[in-house]
Amino acid sequence: MTIIEGMASGFLQSISLAVFPYLFVGSIFGLIIGVIPGLSGHFAMAMAVTFLYQMEPAAGIGFILGAHATVAQGGGLTAILFSTPGTGQNAATLLDGPAMRDKGEAGIAVGAAMASCFLGATFGAIVLGLLIPVLREVVLFFGPPEVVVLAFLALTFVAVLGKEDMTRSLIAALLGLLLAMIGVDNVTNTHRFTLGSDRLADGLQLVPVILGLFAVAEMIDLWTRGGSLARHAPEALSARDTQRQIFRGIGEALRNWWLVLRCSAIGTTMGLIPGLGSAPAAFVAYGHAKQSSPDRDTFGQGNVKGVIGPEASNDAVEGGALASTIAFGIPGSSSMAILLSGLFILGLDTGPQMLNEHVDIIFVMIFTIIIGNLIGTVVGMFLVNPLSRATSIRASIMVPVLMAVIATGAFAGERAIFDIGVAVVFGILGYIMKVLNYSRAAMLIGFVLGFAVEKNLYLALLLDGPFFVIQPIPLGLAVVTVVFLAWNVWLIIRDKKRLIPHGRRS
Amino acid sequence: MRRAFLKSAAAIVAATSLLGGGAFAQSPAEFYKDNVIKWIVPYDPGGGYDDYSRMIAPYLEKHTGARVDIVNMPGSGGMKGAVEIFNSPSDGTYVGIINGSAMVTNQLAEIEGANYKVGDYSYLGRIVSDPRVFVVAANSGIDDFEDMQSDGETAVVGATGLGGSTYVDAVIIGDVFGIDQKVVHGFDRSGDIRTAMLRGDVDAMWGSLGSALKGIESGDHKVILHAEKEDRPELAGAPSIYDVAQQTENPERSLKILRSWEALNAVGRPVAGPPGIPEDRLAFLQDAFMKAVNDPEFVATAAESGRDLLPATGAEMSEIAKAATELEDDIKALFVRAIRGEI
Repeated sequence: MTIIEGMASGFLQSISLAVFPYLFVGSIFGLIIGVIPGLSGHFAMAMAVTFLYQMEPAAGIGFILGAHATVAQGGGLTAILFSTPGTGQNAATLLDGPAMRDKGEAGIAVGAAMASCFLGATFGAIVLGLLIPVLREVVLFFGPPEVVVLAFLALTFVAVLGKEDMTRSLIAALLGLLLAMIGVDNVTNTHRFTLGSDRLADGLQLVPVILGLFAVAEMIDLWTRGGSLARHAPEALSARDTQRQIFRGIGEALRNWWLVLRCSAIGTTMGLIPGLGSAPAAFVAYGHAKQSSPDRDTFGQGNVKGVIGPEASNDAVEGGALASTIAFGIPGSSSMAILLSGLFILGLDTGPQMLNEHVDIIFVMIFTIIIGNLIGTVVGMFLVNPLSRATSIRASIMVPVLMAVIATGAFAGERAIFDIGVAVVFGILGYIMKVLNYSRAAMLIGFVLGFAVEKNLYLALLLDGPFFVIQPIPLGLAVVTVVFLAWNVWLIIRDKKRLIPHGRRS
Repeated sequence: MRRAFLKSAAAIVAATSLLGGGAFAQSPAEFYKDNVIKWIVPYDPGGGYDDYSRMIAPYLEKHTGARVDIVNMPGSGGMKGAVEIFNSPSDGTYVGIINGSAMVTNQLAEIEGANYKVGDYSYLGRIVSDPRVFVVAANSGIDDFEDMQSDGETAVVGATGLGGSTYVDAVIIGDVFGIDQKVVHGFDRSGDIRTAMLRGDVDAMWGSLGSALKGIESGDHKVILHAEKEDRPELAGAPSIYDVAQQTENPERSLKILRSWEALNAVGRPVAGPPGIPEDRLAFLQDAFMKAVNDPEFVATAAESGRDLLPATGAEMSEIAKAATELEDDIKALFVRAIRGEI
C-alpha cells in the first residue's frame, strides 16, 4: 500500500458510517473529561480502552484517540472560565486566559483557544503524516544526551516567563526541581524527602500538584476576596455577545497564523521527545509567544496571544507523541502506553509492520486527530454559554462546588485520598506564591522537567561518559541553549536601562 | 469538607460490612450467585495485567455466577494493590491479580511498604508466567551467547530500576555465567531500553518473551539465551541457561541458583485473595478459576489477541510461592544483594 492509497483509504474510513459515530462519541467524551479539572487524557483513554473489546479496529481507534485528542480543548475552557486547569496541559493557559475573562473578554479567549487547538492539532497530525517515511530515524534522533540538553533549553524559558522578577522565578523553578526529587530515586533506590511515608515514596503526582498550585489557590483567593469569578464583568454576557466574541476570537487566532504555526511546531517537536510531555510544551510556547511579541508588557494581563500560543502547542503535541508509538510500538508516555494496549486489543501490530502494511490505520489516526478536534471545537463553542454564566455565580456557592470537583479530580488519577491532601497543601503554597508574586509557572516547569533532566543525565553519563555534551547533536543543541540564554539576559539588561529613565520601574 | 469525607467513609464501611458479613449457612454456589467479586488490578488500565483480567472476568462470572468488578489500583510498582488484596476482607469477595515475581523480590529484600507475605495469600491459580529471554540488538555485532562471552568487549546491558526484574535477571545470570557486562539501570520502562538498543546505546537486555516478540519478528532484536527447559519455535537457535550451566566451573552451584531464580519467575501472574478465605469458598473459587482458564472460548480469545497462557492451580501456586520465598541462606543473600543493587 502506498502512502497516497493509505491516505485516501484512511480518510474514507474515518468519515464512514462504521467509524464516524464512534469518533464523534469519543471526541465529546474527551471534551467532557477535559472540562472536569484533574481528569486528563490519560484518564479518558483508560476509561475508553475498556470498551474496545467489541469494536472493529478503525472504529476503536476513532473512539479511543478521539477521546484523547479533545481533552486539551475541554481543559482550555475550564482554564479560561474557572481559573482551573482542566488538564495539566492547560496550566500555561492560566497566565492570560482568566485575565481576559476578568476584562469581560471570555468569549474572545475561548474562541481563540478553540481555533488554536484545532489548528495546532491539524499541524501536528500533518507533520506526523509527512514524517512517515523517515519516522524511525526521527524517533531515534533523541537519546539521553539530546534529551538532557533539550530539557535544559526548556528550563531556560523560565527566564522569559518571569522576566519581571527573575530572582523570584529562579527561586520558584529551583523549588520545583527540588520537589521533583521527592520519592524513591530510580537509580539508587534511596528514599529522598519521603519522611518515611509510603505514599511519598512514589513521588508527587503531577495532577494534584497542578490542581493545588493553580485551582485550589484560585479558590482560596476567590473565597477570601468574595464576589464572583469574572471580576470586572459582574453581568454575564448575553448569548449573542458571547457568540460575537467567539467569532472575534477565531479571527484573532487566524490573524496570528504565523504564531500559531511556530507554537504548533514547538508542541510537535516536544511531543516527539520522549519523557517531556505536553505541560512543558505549552509553557515553552507561551514563553516563545511572549518573547516574540512587540507588546510583551501586556502578557499576563489578558493578551490573546498568551492564550493562542499554549493552546496551539498543547494540541500539536499529539502528532509528535504518536510517532514513537507507531514507529516502534514503544510508548513515549503513559497515555501512549494505554493507546498501545488498545491497539493490541484491536488486533493491530505497531512498529515496522504497521508502517509497511497498515499505512491506512496510521492515516485513520491522523484524520481522527483532525476531525476529533474539529468536533471538539464546534461542540466546545456551544458549551461556552452555559459555562460562562456560571462565572458570575457568587463565591460562597461557586467555591464549595468547584472544590468538590477539584478534590474528585485529584483523587481519581490514583484513587488516593493522599492526593487530595497534596492538592490542598499545594493550594496553600500556590496562594502564598500568588500573594508574594512568585511564579507558579516557573515552579511547575522545574517540577516537570526535574524528572527528565535527572534521569537522562544519569543515563547519558553512564552510556557516553562525562563528555557526552561534546557529541555533534547535543553540542549543537547546547550552543542554541547558551545563545538563547544570553539573548534573554541581554534583553533584560536592555529593558531595565530603557525603563528606568522613564521612571516606570522603582 | 472533612465532615463530608468522614460521612462518606462511614457509609462505605457500613455498606461493605453489610455486603460482606452475609449469612453463614450457605453453600458457596449460593453465596456467589448474584454476589459481587471485586477484582483488584494493581496497575493502570491498559497494561498486560489489566488485559488478562478483563479477558478472564466474563468467564469467571460464568463459572461462579457472581458479577466481577475490576478495580484498578496502581501505585508503588504494583505493591499498593498487592497490599490492598492482602488486607481486604477474607469473605471470598475480594481477589486480584498480582505481579508475583516482583512481590517476592520486594519481600525478600524487605523493601519498605512490602506489608504482605507472598506465601500466605489464598491462591486461586495462575494465568501465565512469562518465559524470560536475553535479547541483543541486531546491530550490536553480537551474534550469539558464545560470541558475547568471547569477543573481549564489555556488553552494555540495559535495565529499569534497581530490584526490577530486568535488573535482577541481568545481575543474577551475569554472576552465574561470569558474563563480561556493564549493567546500566535507570530506564523508566522496558520500552525505553528497547529504544536505546535501536539507537545502539545498549547492547542487550533481559525481558519476557511476550514483550520481546515484536522486536524479534521485525529483525531488530535477537534472542541469544533463554530460561526455558523445553524448546519453543520462537527460541530456535538460542541455548537454554540450563545447558550453558553445565559448562560453568561449578555446575552444581550454578544449577542451584538457576533453580531458585526459576522458582522466582514461576510465580508469574497469580490470581489471589487475602489469607483466611473460608475453605469451601476458596475451593469453589479455585475450581471456577480453573474452569474459566480452560474454557475453550477463553483459550480462543487469548490466542486471538496473542496472549500466552500457562495456567497453574491454586494448590500448585501456593507451593510455588512458598518455594520462591524460602531460599537457602547463601542463595537468599545473593538474591537480596542483587535486588538491592549491591552486586
